[in-house]
Amino acid sequence: MIEVSNFSKTYAGFKAVQGISFQVNKGEIVGFLGPNGAGKSTTMKVLAGYLPPTDGRIKVAGYDVVGESLEVRRNVGYMPENVPLYTDMRVDEFLRFRARLKGVPAKKVRDRVEHVARLCNLLDVQRKVIGTLSKGFRQRVGLADAMVHDPQLLILDEPTIGLDPHQIRSVRDLIRSLGAHHTILLSTHILSEVEATCNRVLIINRGRIEASDTPANLTRLVRGGGALVVEVRAQRMAVAEKLAAVADVEEVEILQESGEWTFAKVFAKTGVDIRDGVYEAIRSEGWPLRELSRTRATLEDVFVELTQD
Amino acid sequence: MSPSTFWTLYKRELRGIFVSPVAYVVLGGCSLIIGAGFSVFLHAMIENNVKGSPLLSWLLGSFVFWFTVMIETPLISMRALSEEYKMGTIEMLLTAPVREWEVVLSKFAALATFYVVLWLPAALDVSYLYVFSDQKWDMTWGMALLPFAMVFLIGFLYIAIGLFASSLTKNQVIAAILGFAFIFIAFCVGLLGVFDLGERGRDIIAYVSGTQHMDTFCRGIFDTRPVVFYLSTTFFFLFLTQRVLESRRLRS
Repeated sequence: MIEVSNFSKTYAGFKAVQGISFQVNKGEIVGFLGPNGAGKSTTMKVLAGYLPPTDGRIKVAGYDVVGESLEVRRNVGYMPENVPLYTDMRVDEFLRFRARLKGVPAKKVRDRVEHVARLCNLLDVQRKVIGTLSKGFRQRVGLADAMVHDPQLLILDEPTIGLDPHQIRSVRDLIRSLGAHHTILLSTHILSEVEATCNRVLIINRGRIEASDTPANLTRLVRGGGALVVEVRAQRMAVAEKLAAVADVEEVEILQESGEWTFAKVFAKTGVDIRDGVYEAIRSEGWPLRELSRTRATLEDVFVELTQD
Repeated sequence: MSPSTFWTLYKRELRGIFVSPVAYVVLGGCSLIIGAGFSVFLHAMIENNVKGSPLLSWLLGSFVFWFTVMIETPLISMRALSEEYKMGTIEMLLTAPVREWEVVLSKFAALATFYVVLWLPAALDVSYLYVFSDQKWDMTWGMALLPFAMVFLIGFLYIAIGLFASSLTKNQVIAAILGFAFIFIAFCVGLLGVFDLGERGRDIIAYVSGTQHMDTFCRGIFDTRPVVFYLSTTFFFLFLTQRVLESRRLRS
């Protein structure tokens, strides 16, 4: 659905994006992550046919973004960052206007507008002037606008920014349900959202792609992906020595010692399960055990590790 | 061009103009000024016992008229593109399958429509007088309609210039001032005829002078040269606007 090869974008001498390549396949929901200023919005604007690339070839829905920009725009629903809308229009008016503009046949405009208004929970505010709506509603109007012409691909730049937790949850559910019929590329700073909705994650930093994988695979890769937390009644030195000797253990970190109890974190080599070995070591010493649990690395850990300087 | 795209954009633009307070301030202000000018000239005519025919040419040749046109056109066109830049809606607009010149043309058409509406009160003044005065008017249809045709031609050019100014900045006030400056320069070139510029210079000035064109049309004489001049310069400024819009997007 999206094929990007060797894409660069330079703004007045500043390299916003430097030669990135990636693909998004039909039906995928891809999360696009990166720190502020990493080039996410720029990339999305180029994919939406708004900005031309400085270099590289980009095909969206089978059309070239430079040569066949109108076709690209016809097949993409783009929701820009900060959701610019005509604040002097009413919600239904605006959506009808956008539907006509995007080539929805006159006869179907009514149905499409009602359909997307229902999906985005806008039926109650249809007659309100957009300028009077709260941020959350405007966000949903923007989302409805992006979907109104039933595009193959949705490009959403921070769709949940500025929403309250309820709205975030409903937008997330909406995106997940849209995933059945649409291909979606969305950028966000809320990592739990990506874990909850996306099949794949692209992490971009300083204009380069740092990682592209499923959230599960990414979290497995980071240090501490399968770390264990143990709390046993034993001397800290003894604990450190004994556990470090277990096969495939990379490092033992004593987190805390309170009274007779020692609280430690055991790091395994990437992708290896050390639970059996650690339990066996503790049992053989006869140490009373109060906790043995596995910490899961979050996407946040991945993000921080990949994008730190 | 897809006619439905143009029509959709045009309707939205027209609606945008009519829901903005600027439209009504300009409409009210200009009707007031032109109406006042009209009644002053009417009084002057009656006092001096002049017949009805020079009324329009007095009015449309007056400082009041030119001042009004030069003020109202940048005022109505200032927000056309600046506002889109400022609100960021230009991004939303141009990520729909729409070409730049469809945007420019639809905005121009909507502004031109509003400009015509601005002159309805003046047209009403004239027709009112025609219907209710018992004087004999030695006024031909040409003398009544051609001046208005010229008002529109000049106004359309000024609107195109104002739209161009609006495409240069995201600040409405700057757009209005720039627009006024460009329009004022264009107008002043036409006044250079008062200087002795020789035969050739006079011909060139006559070709571009708004005041002289107005004078000709007020006498009920139809001349194709000014028509060609205004239409072509209008399209030239619309073309420039489209180029600015495109280059803004490509550069950013």
